[in-house]
Amino acid sequence: MHNVWLIAKREYTERIKTKGFLIATILIPVLMGGGLFGVATMASKAKATAHIAVVGSQPQLAEDLKRELEDSKESKMTVDVLPPSTAHAVLDQQISNNLLDAYLVIVPATGSGQRPTFDFTPRSTADIATSTTIENALHRVLTREYLAAKGASESETSALMEPVTLVVIAGNGKRGDSKTSFYVAYTLFLLMYMVVLLYGMNVARSIIEEKTSRVFEVLLATITPDELLAGKIVGVGAVGLSQVGIWMVAAGLIAARLGATSGVQISMPQVVYFIVFFVLGYTLYSAVAAALGAMTNSEQELQQLNMFMMIPLFLSLLMLQPIVSNPNSMLSRIVSQIPFCAPLLMNLRVSISMPQPWEIALSIGLILVTIYAVLWVSSRIYRVGILMYGKKPNLPEILRWLKYS
Amino acid sequence: MPIVELKKIRKVYDTKVAVEGLSLTIEPGTMFGLLGPNGSGKTSSIRMMIGMTVPDSGSVSLFGKPFDRGALHRVGYLPEERGLYKKMKVLDQLVFLGQLHGLSESKARERSLAWCERVQITEAIEKKTEELSKGMQQKIQFIAALLHEPELIIMDEPFSGLDPVNAELLQDTLIDLRKEGKAVLFSTHRMDQVEKMCDSIALISRGKLVLSGSMREVKSSYPRNRVHVVFSGDELFLQNPEVEEAKNYAGIAELKLHNEAGAQKVLAEAMARGTVIHRYEVKEPTLEEIFIEQVRASFGDEEARGIADA
Repeated sequence: MHNVWLIAKREYTERIKTKGFLIATILIPVLMGGGLFGVATMASKAKATAHIAVVGSQPQLAEDLKRELEDSKESKMTVDVLPPSTAHAVLDQQISNNLLDAYLVIVPATGSGQRPTFDFTPRSTADIATSTTIENALHRVLTREYLAAKGASESETSALMEPVTLVVIAGNGKRGDSKTSFYVAYTLFLLMYMVVLLYGMNVARSIIEEKTSRVFEVLLATITPDELLAGKIVGVGAVGLSQVGIWMVAAGLIAARLGATSGVQISMPQVVYFIVFFVLGYTLYSAVAAALGAMTNSEQELQQLNMFMMIPLFLSLLMLQPIVSNPNSMLSRIVSQIPFCAPLLMNLRVSISMPQPWEIALSIGLILVTIYAVLWVSSRIYRVGILMYGKKPNLPEILRWLKYS
Repeated sequence: MPIVELKKIRKVYDTKVAVEGLSLTIEPGTMFGLLGPNGSGKTSSIRMMIGMTVPDSGSVSLFGKPFDRGALHRVGYLPEERGLYKKMKVLDQLVFLGQLHGLSESKARERSLAWCERVQITEAIEKKTEELSKGMQQKIQFIAALLHEPELIIMDEPFSGLDPVNAELLQDTLIDLRKEGKAVLFSTHRMDQVEKMCDSIALISRGKLVLSGSMREVKSSYPRNRVHVVFSGDELFLQNPEVEEAKNYAGIAELKLHNEAGAQKVLAEAMARGTVIHRYEVKEPTLEEIFIEQVRASFGDEEARGIADA
């Protein structure tokens, strides 16, 4: 135990002292916060600004659409209204010359009570923003015309068309904000993703460093490989935990400063679960990383094996959206039990909608069992692998290592 | 009570036999030379001695008891491939390694400083390892192996890469340690060092023990059939039938004779031919000659020449 402590202490103090630690501590939250804030602001402020042409025989409909598109909450387009006689070839020409982004042809309805149809030709069929904006605008214009035709007054129509706002009441009875709680959950998720990956890789890198500098030879003359592995995982993990701790405290201070105005709420259980799942996730991934580090001889070789760590993390990232939109669906429940995804996904579910206690307990249990199994395999690979230099082992060789005592 | 006792240890890596039925004993207060060509199993044997790897069969005893990790605090090990943390300061590094060998922090610090002074690297104490020359790094590694005052010191190629001044400094340090009653085992290719320093040797080739015993025993088991001649004039005496092999370097010749008695006959012929003899010395073979001969015998002749020259 004393040796594990010594190794962990060395890893911790040497890492904390580096400039890299300081830079990461400051830059990661700044970049991530800035990025999230930036995307959110851009998304809310961005208006469609395309230049389009509307071709149609119904001047009223075309003019209404023009008004709706040129000056509304979500769009600031330039709209030219053209007579139906306009040749499509001319418009196609304008599109290919970049003078026009799209054109819309209104085909009048064939019978009464039927809607006109709309043929839309954009420059890029992938421009979903413009087409969605036009669809919404058309829908509003048609509804308004219909209401006007039925004799509704201007003010009645406006009142009916007004968007509806939901007042969100959080569990504690206070007024909540689904957007901010979503961002909090999202931020915590990304934070864990980055830290687990970063520090997992650090374990692998530190093993490779000791391997290339041959420090192992000296260390193994007094301590066992298992002590070395344990010390390394504990030491590097403690650095990660310190970093997360610094961020949490800083975030807490900022939140306290901004007070209620920010509307950001991180509850105590959220923090506790975050730390529990971080420790579990980190231990699991660093155990995998240790095996990868022991198998390889250089950073380059490690890069090639990185996918073993990246794939489950990436899968978790893919699952982010489905879980956020429906945290208690069957899919969410199943993927959040997969041990390699559970630290991230179960924690995400905890922070957006508390799952059943047995679900949390089961996922923690499964992670613990997996950690035990991975450590068992890793420590064996590590024990043999660290003394092997030179050629990269192939799979049968690694399997044979597992049999060495 | 022998300090190290290996009994018929054997280690196989996949298909390659690294060590085959090796037995050897190291007594306290001896300087033990472990010799062998590259890839002969020296490092594998040493690793098994300190439990870094476990032999497939056979037994290892340290300090008169079957191998136990607790005994490792009484062993100092300098690996063949030097290993230090590049970014760590020298003193921190020494203290860390000392603590791993069971010293308290203050004791480790005190001894590190004393040793740095002894091997003349005090100016390096506050530097990072990567800023130091290879020779200095080697001295630090050397200190790290000795900080906890081990009773058994194992050094794999301790003098490789050192300039003559520093090599001598470390040699003298090892000799001092032996005088204090410690057992020292080192492996090397440099036969002159072994001849000068060692009390006992073991020569292994292809994982097998070829030769072992005290230096005197080993040497006296070979006939005194080597002659070192310095002469001028007629050199036809070198073709005397008693001479098995002669290397003539313009007036200085190294002869190998069929047997000890031949030396006088060769000298008589030289006198008869009127060759002027400045020096005529009958010797036992040098360790290097024994080494080459034994390694050659264990391999095919052709193969061995390449190895012995390497």
